[in-house]
Amino acid sequence: MNPFTYKRATDEADAVREVANGKNAKFLGGGTNLVDLMKMGVETPDELVDINRLALKRIEQTPQGLRIGALASNSEVANHRLVREQFPVLSEAILAGASPQLRNMATVGGNLLQRTRCYYFMDTSFPCNKRVPGSGCSAIPGFNRIHAILGASDKCIAVHPSDMCVALAALDAIVRVAGPAGARQIPLVDFHRLPGDTPQIETNLRPDELIVAVDLPNSPFARRSRYLKIRDRAQYAFALVSVAAALDVQQGRINAARLALGGVAHKPWRALDAEKVLTGARADAQTFRAAAEAALKGAQPQQHNAFKVELARRAIVRLLTEVAHETKGGAA
Amino acid sequence: MSNQTDTQTKIVGKPVPRKEGRAKVTGAARYIDDLRMDGMLYGATVRSAVPRGRIREIKFGAGLPWDEFVVVTAADIPGENCVALILLDQPYLVAKFINHAEEPILLLAHADKHLLEKARRAVTFDVEPLSPIFTLEESLAKKEIIWGEDNIFKSYQVNKGNVDEVWAQADFIIEGEYRTGAQEQLYIEPNGVIAVANADAGVTVWGSMQCPYYVHKALLKLFALPEEKIRVIQTETGGGFGGKEEYPSMIAGHAALLSWKAGGRPVKIIYDRAEDMVATTKRHPSRTRHRTAVNKDGKLLGMEIEFVIDGGAYATLSSVVLSRGTIHAAGPYNCPNVRINAHAVATNVPPHGAFRGFGAPQSIFALERHLDKVAQVVGLSPAEFRRRNFIHEGETTATGQVIREPVDMEGLLARAFELTDYQAKRERFARANEGRSLKRGIGFASFMHGAGFTGSGEVYLQSIVGAEAGADGRVRLLAASTEIGQGTNTIFAQIAADALQIDFDLIEVAQPDTSNVPNSGPTVASRTTMIVGKLVESAALGLKQTLQNSGLLKANYTTDDWRAACRRHVEQFGLLKSFSQYKPPPGINWDEGKYQGDAYGAYAWAVYVAEVTVDMLTYEARVEDFVALQEVGKVVHPVLAAGQIEGGVAQAIGFTLYENVVWSEGRMLNNQMTNYIIPTSADIPPIRVYFEEQPYAYGPAGAKGIGELPMDGGAPAILNAIEHATGVAFNHVPLLPEALMQALNQTA
Ligand SMILES: Cc1cc2nc3c(=O)[nH]c(=O)nc-3n(C[C@H](O)[C@H](O)[C@H](O)COP(=O)(O)OP(=O)(O)OC[C@H]3O[C@@H](n4cnc5c(N)ncnc54)[C@H](O)[C@@H]3O)c2cc1C
Ligand code: SF4
Repeated sequence: MNPFTYKRATDEADAVREVANGKNAKFLGGGTNLVDLMKMGVETPDELVDINRLALKRIEQTPQGLRIGALASNSEVANHRLVREQFPVLSEAILAGASPQLRNMATVGGNLLQRTRCYYFMDTSFPCNKRVPGSGCSAIPGFNRIHAILGASDKCIAVHPSDMCVALAALDAIVRVAGPAGARQIPLVDFHRLPGDTPQIETNLRPDELIVAVDLPNSPFARRSRYLKIRDRAQYAFALVSVAAALDVQQGRINAARLALGGVAHKPWRALDAEKVLTGARADAQTFRAAAEAALKGAQPQQHNAFKVELARRAIVRLLTEVAHETKGGAA
Repeated sequence: MSNQTDTQTKIVGKPVPRKEGRAKVTGAARYIDDLRMDGMLYGATVRSAVPRGRIREIKFGAGLPWDEFVVVTAADIPGENCVALILLDQPYLVAKFINHAEEPILLLAHADKHLLEKARRAVTFDVEPLSPIFTLEESLAKKEIIWGEDNIFKSYQVNKGNVDEVWAQADFIIEGEYRTGAQEQLYIEPNGVIAVANADAGVTVWGSMQCPYYVHKALLKLFALPEEKIRVIQTETGGGFGGKEEYPSMIAGHAALLSWKAGGRPVKIIYDRAEDMVATTKRHPSRTRHRTAVNKDGKLLGMEIEFVIDGGAYATLSSVVLSRGTIHAAGPYNCPNVRINAHAVATNVPPHGAFRGFGAPQSIFALERHLDKVAQVVGLSPAEFRRRNFIHEGETTATGQVIREPVDMEGLLARAFELTDYQAKRERFARANEGRSLKRGIGFASFMHGAGFTGSGEVYLQSIVGAEAGADGRVRLLAASTEIGQGTNTIFAQIAADALQIDFDLIEVAQPDTSNVPNSGPTVASRTTMIVGKLVESAALGLKQTLQNSGLLKANYTTDDWRAACRRHVEQFGLLKSFSQYKPPPGINWDEGKYQGDAYGAYAWAVYVAEVTVDMLTYEARVEDFVALQEVGKVVHPVLAAGQIEGGVAQAIGFTLYENVVWSEGRMLNNQMTNYIIPTSADIPPIRVYFEEQPYAYGPAGAKGIGELPMDGGAPAILNAIEHATGVAFNHVPLLPEALMQALNQTA
């Protein structure tokens, strides 16, 4: 590991100042991603600014919805009564990820910024445009089973690994940040970026901006929302494909729909075309199939992951069916 | 004749606490990375990035204080540059020709780990590339000759009857091809050693290992020193599964070379997980082809089997892995005509090595998948077909070994079916699956596993075990057999306590240290309980004999009498010691040239049943229930024995549905625990373990070996169940969702 200095921030302003003025400084949340990457030599900050003592842990009801502090642990969010009642997809998504020990440590802010699990990104002996801009992408000619099928570029085909973020994308969440220039809000769907020519820039958050909270707005569909994750084993694995779906169904018709996919793109992927197909349509198998087709239109698989396209379609149909009928499990 | 096994078993058969259990759960146990020595340096290995080539130049990058580093190349080796095992083909360090990716070329040591890592990355090699080969097909086709004259490490041919004559009389001839992939052992503790070496004091190595005397033998050659100048000590070892059978000789040699060059300063090398996965051995990938002749009554007439394993770049243990795989290839069936052609071939990947099962899981997978196909062609159920062909006492295996113990495969099958409700489920699932997206299936495999070294291996090993008793009556067992988490120390103590009829707590097992314990052979091949345990029993009985012969101990005695007798013996004659050396059971004959005869002293027999669901929407296959029923002679420790079976079955489930080594240019690409997927406890169903006991006359208290057995049956049982669920025959493992999807889409 590269040597670094460590500083514990006393309040938000102090944290922002430290990182803004520090040389190559980073915020330290739960450390479950950052510290691993430092050990592997992938991240090499010169300074860590520990934000764990900041008062950003609260989960509170607001008139517009729910506000989740950036330092609330993944476990606290997933197990919170209001989250489970009002935004079940978020609870399910978080619980589908990592392990209890990791979720106890991981924070909301850190989860938003967790980095890709591309093998080549994580192994410094390989070229990688994300780690070393301009060095080349090892995944495109390499083993790319877990890589993107949507929105990739010829510079990078990595996927965003988070489960939580897929749920947040479906819930129209808003990320609240504080920076040297003041506070601002970034809709979750605009928070992460596609790789384009600059895969090293993963979000629209500036390096010295601190995530302080995530807002979940009330909506007619949030209560009827679910998450389905398909992975290589039942626990402790990232999504090959995942789906977050929320529906407002009245008398068999879909008034409003949200659909987001994980494991398929460089960002949590909102399937807007599929939502158009769903909105106003009957909640039936035909609609769900059409939505799945629309969601994967334009998918461009890599050499080893063509299976993901069909897998994603099937996962969408299954989850929409279950959400619409409020059933659970593989009965069909 | 059962000579000593009729002693009362008071402790054998009981779930006594593990000897080293308390130290492990309290954290007091010291693993190699817990140890530190004054002046210790850290060592690192610089490895090849390419799979094959000739080194032109070694380059040391700018900006590092190279004079502070200990640097070792092939030129620094005092003895022979080869890892002595079976052949002498594998170098400790590449001198000129690289034969696989990640091959060690240069060693570095420094007191600062951080700087060491920087330095490791700063050494590069200018290499003239040579064309590599990566698959066993390329090797067999001699696309390039990369080893010897024909890329073949070893071939065997087994002949029974005359298979050439059966094809004409056969009602059915059924062919099939079956493949298995590489698999990583993934012991909890990665490889690691500390070495101190210099010309005066010789070489001492502490480390995580299965076979101290293998390391000893390798270091003798590497340093060209006399035996007494080499000392190898096993430290607490966090698992091995075969992965620490041969590899520790390599890492021990590396650390010792660095220490030697550093004038005897201790050097520690610990691999991190990524290095351990990318550079050390894995299970041999295999391809098996079957051609089987059957008559219309469902009787096997002849089997022709071609079994090929990919050994990687050097011979290491491939010949013996091949041997076990070959001998198990025809299974527990009575077939009059068998020919098995087997080859271990070379490719430019890191050498494949020992892994629980040692070739048998590969060939048994092929056979047990193939027999389901044969049954189908003949028009019998998989169970009925096997019933008509099971081997019995007095009949012969493929090598012509006459089975001299009662074998009741039919009985095992019946009991396993009862435990799983197999017959009813077989029919019920088939009906209920119609039109369902979650399909259920049930399948089984029947098999055997030989315990101990193959053929004349045990005779050649001449294993010795010692026992000594002190004035306090405590008995110390001296053996090189290692406790690696499987329970060796507990089982040895149980056997000795019963042999001597004294308290279990009076028995201790010495730390394996070549300067202090005799060579009881390697801790491999399901031999530790059955073969070495038997030597423990007779060494212990030797102590008793001595005390009784000298009149110090009566025929009937208590633990207190034992103590008193020991005290008097020590006062009068000094320390009480007894040694016992392996003698083959009578009537065991093996012809190495013809590959005929008694391949193993004893076999354990088993039937495993797996129940699965296959999700036709997501292509996820899950094992829902698993019954492992085996006849093992005698269960020495019920908890440890069940633990062996559960762990082995879990590993087999990984081998079947999860564990996929992804290769690129001969290098493992997914050498991290987040992308090499092993099952977690959430993926493993309840494994229901049942034993039957049919005491083996020459095992301690009647026990046979079981360490490897549970790795054998899982893969074919699961794939047989998947075929039952989906109607599609899959003939390779690992079977990943992609392959399921492709095949099921084609048939849909
Ligand atoms: C073995 C393993 C399995 C996993 N499995 C899954 C899985 O299945 N699904 C899944 O979604 N995730 C999984 N994870 C990832 C896990 O969710 C993330 O590691 C975790 O969410 C990161 O949170 P953290 O607080 O520990 O972040 P840290 O490691 O502390 O930080 C991550 C990044 O976020 C930045 N950061 C942290 N907080 C803030 C803030 N408030 N403002 C600005 N920047 C901030 C840090 O500077 C750093 O760059 C797994 C992780 C491991 C190790
Ligand atoms: S896909 Fe992206 S992260 Fe992976 S190697 Fe290519 S550039 Fe790097």
